[in-house]
Amino acid sequence: MARYSDSPEEGRERRSLTWAVVFFLLSVILLYLPPSLQGQIAAGFRATLLRPFILTQEAVARVQRRAEDASQLQAQLDSMAGVIVSQGLLAEENRRLRGTLGIPDGIRQAFVPALVIRLGTVGSESMFLLNVGAEKGIKPGDPVLMREGGIGLVGVVKEARRGTAIGIDWSHPDFRASAMTADGGVFGLVEPVRGSFREEDRLLINGIPLYEPVEAGALIVTSGLGGVYPRGIPIGVVEELADQEGRWRKAYWLRPVVEVGSLTHVLVVVGGREAEELWGLFMEGRLPASDSSGAGGEGG
Amino acid sequence: MRRSALLRILVPFLVVLHLLLHVGLGLAGSAPDLLLVALLLAAREVGMGWGAGLGLFFGLLEDSFSVLAFGANGLALTLLGVVGARTRDLFVGDSTVFYFWYLAAGKLLRDLVFWVVAGGGVREPFVSAILLEGSVAAVYAALVGVILILPFLGRNPLP
Repeated sequence: MARYSDSPEEGRERRSLTWAVVFFLLSVILLYLPPSLQGQIAAGFRATLLRPFILTQEAVARVQRRAEDASQLQAQLDSMAGVIVSQGLLAEENRRLRGTLGIPDGIRQAFVPALVIRLGTVGSESMFLLNVGAEKGIKPGDPVLMREGGIGLVGVVKEARRGTAIGIDWSHPDFRASAMTADGGVFGLVEPVRGSFREEDRLLINGIPLYEPVEAGALIVTSGLGGVYPRGIPIGVVEELADQEGRWRKAYWLRPVVEVGSLTHVLVVVGGREAEELWGLFMEGRLPASDSSGAGGEGG
Repeated sequence: MRRSALLRILVPFLVVLHLLLHVGLGLAGSAPDLLLVALLLAAREVGMGWGAGLGLFFGLLEDSFSVLAFGANGLALTLLGVVGARTRDLFVGDSTVFYFWYLAAGKLLRDLVFWVVAGGGVREPFVSAILLEGSVAAVYAALVGVILILPFLGRNPLP
């Protein structure tokens, strides 16, 4: 008796449909994998198939760097020399005062220079790759500063592996920084606000007490609270009042110091051992509450 | 002949060119989405299973640079691979006009699926991401795609 069976065409279609369902399920599973596993897969692709393209952008950035005007670099060097000379006396005074009062040296930060690799793929907006990584002591949470044309806060490292690191800039929805006016009079929290278009993304300093005066043009810097960013890194300049809630809080729009789109070189602030030790003491409750809050404000 | 030329020459060329423009040179919106063009062209030739697999692979290449929305490109392009393969059964056209609308609609669908899957923290407002920027990007990708496949359409029309 003849048995019924699919025609070769039908069999092929059925196999094709089965594979399509398998790949679709795989794509859904990948979407819900733990972030650590997702990171490993992404790092695997970046280290193999995508490596030549990442190296291409590194090479382009190096060529751009070499083509910079030497006179401009000389001017920057002269400005830096001026700053160093004028601050030499200040550093000496600070050292003597600390010695007199018995205060130990402040937390020292190390800076690692890095090339920025900006990506143009879907979903990589507000992110950047660095050409250095864990081998230089870079770890998640390290602040990233602009290196050329002055110092300003760019963002923070999110993921660090050998030879590369991924960071987010200030326009990323996850970016937050504890901030204050340059004179240390008013404190708040800086966060990005999405505009209708990418070009309209802005920074906002929020949580400022209603009766604290903040003038337009005031420089906003990191406060060091929370221990993520060192104190005193410029973030933006106050433009205008953005919002006022009831009788207790107001927010201001900021003009960012760093235009992230044009970045090619940055400095990564690598926290010293002292910072980790201080944080460890705080977490273990070995510092009294009043002292620990003071230490965080000054040194973080 | 035409099919093998499309798969062996044009699709790999588009993938490498896309990565060179978007990763190697860091161009974002100013470079067309050639990865999608490559996927949609290949999906019509290789069928649903391979189309979905190719879409997942292409999506993972893009997701490698996405920390907060990992997998969103993979899912979007897997779906596109399936839909692209199905269009072969629904539309037998092989004209430049058909390919223009096929690529443009594919790009819009890809952006829409990504927008839905990526999550509120990452996505931009719907009007700018899909209706305005998405439409322009769709027309851009479709125009470039049609220009690139013209030599393949001209010599050997589809049966």
